[in-house]
Amino acid sequence: MDVSISIFYYIYLVFVGFFLFFTFFNAYHLVRFGFLSLGNITVIIFYIVVTALILSISWGYISQIDWQQSFYVAPQFQFHNINGL
Amino acid sequence: MMIKFFIPHRLEGEKIIMLTRRDPFIMLTRIASWVVVGILPLLFYWLLGDTLQSIFGGVTYQPILVLFTSLFYLYIWLFAFVSYVNYYLDVWIITNQRIIDMEQRGLFARIVSEQRLDKIQDITAESKGFFPTVLNYGEVYAQTAGEKERFVFKQVPEPYTIAKKLGDVVHDYKKAHLYTDNLRK
Repeated sequence: MDVSISIFYYIYLVFVGFFLFFTFFNAYHLVRFGFLSLGNITVIIFYIVVTALILSISWGYISQIDWQQSFYVAPQFQFHNINGL
Repeated sequence: MMIKFFIPHRLEGEKIIMLTRRDPFIMLTRIASWVVVGILPLLFYWLLGDTLQSIFGGVTYQPILVLFTSLFYLYIWLFAFVSYVNYYLDVWIITNQRIIDMEQRGLFARIVSEQRLDKIQDITAESKGFFPTVLNYGEVYAQTAGEKERFVFKQVPEPYTIAKKLGDVVHDYKKAHLYTDNLRK
């Protein structure tokens, strides 16, 4: 059976979604319960910048991949009538 | 400036005397451990990259490698950020009326406990181990008569100074309240 490799890409997107969800809540906690000092704001901005950098570098590699390719997960059985019946 | 820090249901005339967190060394060790974890796959790929390619060298090898590497570093970065958030939001505050212990336990659990200064009976500072002794950080225990029997200021810098400061504040508070109570009588 052939399966498109794009399935990995969709799984990846789900994990990126979780990542963004946790990122949002952590930043929210810092702003809600923390002290909005210059240092704290700098850390949040630095975190967002590095995150954007990781995502853009990843996108640079991901966009070069042909996601239309497929891979083989199980052998295909073909039944031949050996007796010619 | 410090008074702007989020304090749950601030009392009238309450002033922050001291706000402390864990020693920065604790956060540095956590961040350093994530850096080490981040270096491991590079080392692994450098040592076994060719072998892996020969074993899994099909059409899926490169896409999975790219996606896994991306996710790996995104999550390492997230966990390092969580370490910072936990460090930043674990706060012990001494005000002129009470002590407040605020601890972030994971993403959806935040514990805030407080005790009025007149309930504090005994204060102990402790610095145990090699790094705590060398870098001068440790625990401060405040024994109270309340429901939460003991307040612990965990891994705070200069525990003996904090204990002395807390002792002075408690002494001043009790003295002032004894005076006003006597006036009322």
